[in-house]
Amino acid sequence: MSDANNRRGGPVLALRQITKEFPGVVALDKVNLTIGRNELIGLVGENGAGKSVLMKIMIGLIPPDGGTISLHGQPVTLRSPGDAIRNGIGMVFQEGSLVPNLSVMENLFLCHEAGFRRLGILSLRSMRAAARELLAQLKLGIDVDLPVAEISPAERQMVEIARLLWLTKLYGHDNPVLILDEPTTVLADKERETLFTILREIKSRASIVLISHRLQEILENCDRIVVLKDGKNVTEMASSDARLQKIEQLMVGHSFSTDRFHEDEQRRRGEKEILRVENLGKAGQFQPLSFSVGEGEIVGLVGLVGSGKEEVCKCLAGLEKADSGSIFLDGKRLPAGSPRGSVRAGIGHIPIDRRSEGLALMMNVAENVNLLVLNRLKAGGFLSPGREKKNARHWVEECQIKTPSISTLCANLSGGNQQKTVISKWLSSRVRLLILDHPTRGVDVGAKDEIYKLMRKLAREGIGMLVMCDTLEEDIGLANRMLIMKDGRLVQEIGSAPKTKPDPKDIISLIV
Amino acid sequence: MATMNGRSASLGRRLPAPVAMVGTWSRRTGILAQVLTLAIIVAGFALGTRGKYLSWANIQTILSLAAIPAILAIGLHLTVVLGGIDLSVQGVASLVAIFVGLLMKNQYNSHDVGLWIIPIALGIGGAAGLVNGVLNTRLRIPSFIATLGMSWVLYGMAVYINRAVNIQILDERIFKAINGMVLGIPNIAILALIVAIIMQFIQDRTQFGRYLYAIGGDEAVAQQGGVKVEKIKILVFTIAGIVYGLGAALLACRLGVATSRMGNSLLFPTITAVAVGGVALTGGLGGAKNAALGALIVTALNDGMVLMHVNPYAQQAVNGVVLIIAVALTLDRKKLGFIK
Repeated sequence: MSDANNRRGGPVLALRQITKEFPGVVALDKVNLTIGRNELIGLVGENGAGKSVLMKIMIGLIPPDGGTISLHGQPVTLRSPGDAIRNGIGMVFQEGSLVPNLSVMENLFLCHEAGFRRLGILSLRSMRAAARELLAQLKLGIDVDLPVAEISPAERQMVEIARLLWLTKLYGHDNPVLILDEPTTVLADKERETLFTILREIKSRASIVLISHRLQEILENCDRIVVLKDGKNVTEMASSDARLQKIEQLMVGHSFSTDRFHEDEQRRRGEKEILRVENLGKAGQFQPLSFSVGEGEIVGLVGLVGSGKEEVCKCLAGLEKADSGSIFLDGKRLPAGSPRGSVRAGIGHIPIDRRSEGLALMMNVAENVNLLVLNRLKAGGFLSPGREKKNARHWVEECQIKTPSISTLCANLSGGNQQKTVISKWLSSRVRLLILDHPTRGVDVGAKDEIYKLMRKLAREGIGMLVMCDTLEEDIGLANRMLIMKDGRLVQEIGSAPKTKPDPKDIISLIV
Repeated sequence: MATMNGRSASLGRRLPAPVAMVGTWSRRTGILAQVLTLAIIVAGFALGTRGKYLSWANIQTILSLAAIPAILAIGLHLTVVLGGIDLSVQGVASLVAIFVGLLMKNQYNSHDVGLWIIPIALGIGGAAGLVNGVLNTRLRIPSFIATLGMSWVLYGMAVYINRAVNIQILDERIFKAINGMVLGIPNIAILALIVAIIMQFIQDRTQFGRYLYAIGGDEAVAQQGGVKVEKIKILVFTIAGIVYGLGAALLACRLGVATSRMGNSLLFPTITAVAVGGVALTGGLGGAKNAALGALIVTALNDGMVLMHVNPYAQQAVNGVVLIIAVALTLDRKKLGFIK
């Protein structure tokens, strides 16, 4: 055991005045976080509040721009996740960090097999015994020889937790810090209970930081709750003093500036119905649901990651095939699971990851704008350069894409202008319904404003929109109507007319 | 016991140690399908040739013909497990063959290095493999292009040195040792078996082997976990090259003649053997025993077609179909985004 571990009483890990800036955004602004021995801390905040950045800094994945990290009172610099592990800090990622084709046992000791090696040969017998003992400590009965690809997500998490406990012990830490990034989103209710039973058990020999959107479970299980908002500490409190409503209020805040979302330009839903969804369902993803989008209407689809809203959009875009129900666009039924069918019917999809899915980065602005309408730009059977230029110029002007010329590569545009190029690609194809998946993610404030304005303009032209936003404020501000989804169900529909916009607090209690 | 769900409760049972070991052994590198395929081929040709196929002489022929493809496939499959591929086998084999021809007792010069040819052949192969590995990791050139380019570079060197003449190898002792038999089993087949066992052991029981599969399974996770990905990759390509060096030296000695054209038709059967053996081109699955068994299946198939007097051109087409089917069956499509 190292000296550091003998210094009891003080915090195990203390982050002070941590600041991190990314181009255009301050992700963390002088954030403090102290973690005591045997403590279970809940870290909460909206998407984009800075939770994941803070976690990544704690495990050395990204360096902070300012502030100090100290371990048992000693300042440390964490250069890599490996470095963090050696200092007794480990993290279970949402996407998992186990190799699928290796067995549970092989994953547990991956890269730290030295203790099981004699003359360069690994003793599978002693590895198997150690693996079983390790899992037995957590009261888990997983077959250690099964490939990780064949065990359930819950079991994978347990294996990761066991691995971290073993590793930090290997490096001589009797009270490691374990960070769990939204561990419960992939779990069923019963598995969730098991997880917390095990976490409470582990607490006697570790400190745990739990990130979760489910406030109720944080309240019930954590000792202390830390709330982040817009990259700042809002508050922290003991769980015994906390109330759900209070935390919700703190998470959302009250920083509504006047008309950021151009609410005065919000138009009423037109007479015509553009999209009608009837009993659309997909097993394991979302329960059958029905809704419609009218002419010039912006409908916000609100819910947590895993609520099923992404899958609904994928079914509309034809990227996934629903099990049941039908989709009608302008009264005509869409073929299920056909991206081409959806595009031809007039559904445009602006994906969350515009760099890999929305734009061909190595093509220029004109080529991207014209991609879907090449048929209309032909003369005598061949593409006409004149028509191509005309069409591209028209849309660059219409959408106010700031580009040196229409032959600039999209890779060289700013995020906001890339997004506008994606939108203009769809507009040029005379789209009827536009699905916008986090349209303002990763663009700066100015570009956000231009995208909001562009959306209002599209609405005036009668295009229906289905939008999923980065923040609840954005959803409320932009939408005419919001569909709230939770655990694969459409739970409520809330009107959001200008001047009578709903309170985010009321909505957040519906989604978590 | 706090089981996570009903499924794990049933899976959580502990199997008896020997069963568990067979379980692990066959899971990542299962050979059941390959053994069945081989059995079907053997049974089919045994019927088709009225038992001639099963004569001991024919079995010896199959074993001796399968040995060198098996060794080459054991080398190549390592790079496939890693998630890449090594197409340099033809160039390496040609260059090694020329050195074997010119340095062993031959009709052109007075060199006679005897058994020292083994380290020389392995060294040349290893050096070529090292260059492949460095091109792939340091210059970040996709392995199929780096190794394809290297194949032509090495072949060019071989032709330049040799000018396409046949070099007779006159070392009778080595010729006899390679073409000899022990208890009716061709020596060369025994050698291939030993290579397979050693390689499989390395894959199952060393850290290097473990990391090989970790990289093949999920390179990003392996890297994050602390695997020295670059080092392992270079090592894998180097070992593959060393194994080709061995295979090429054996081939030249077995034929008793070395030429720069010797490697020219080795790539296709080697890749077919790897795929037929069940080594997934998407990486992370399949071991040395799969590669060796794949070579045996392909050889047994071709031998049978010869005995049945199948049209030679049709035989080639059959091999092509077999390769495509084998890849289709083993590919992990979840790992692939778009097929290019």
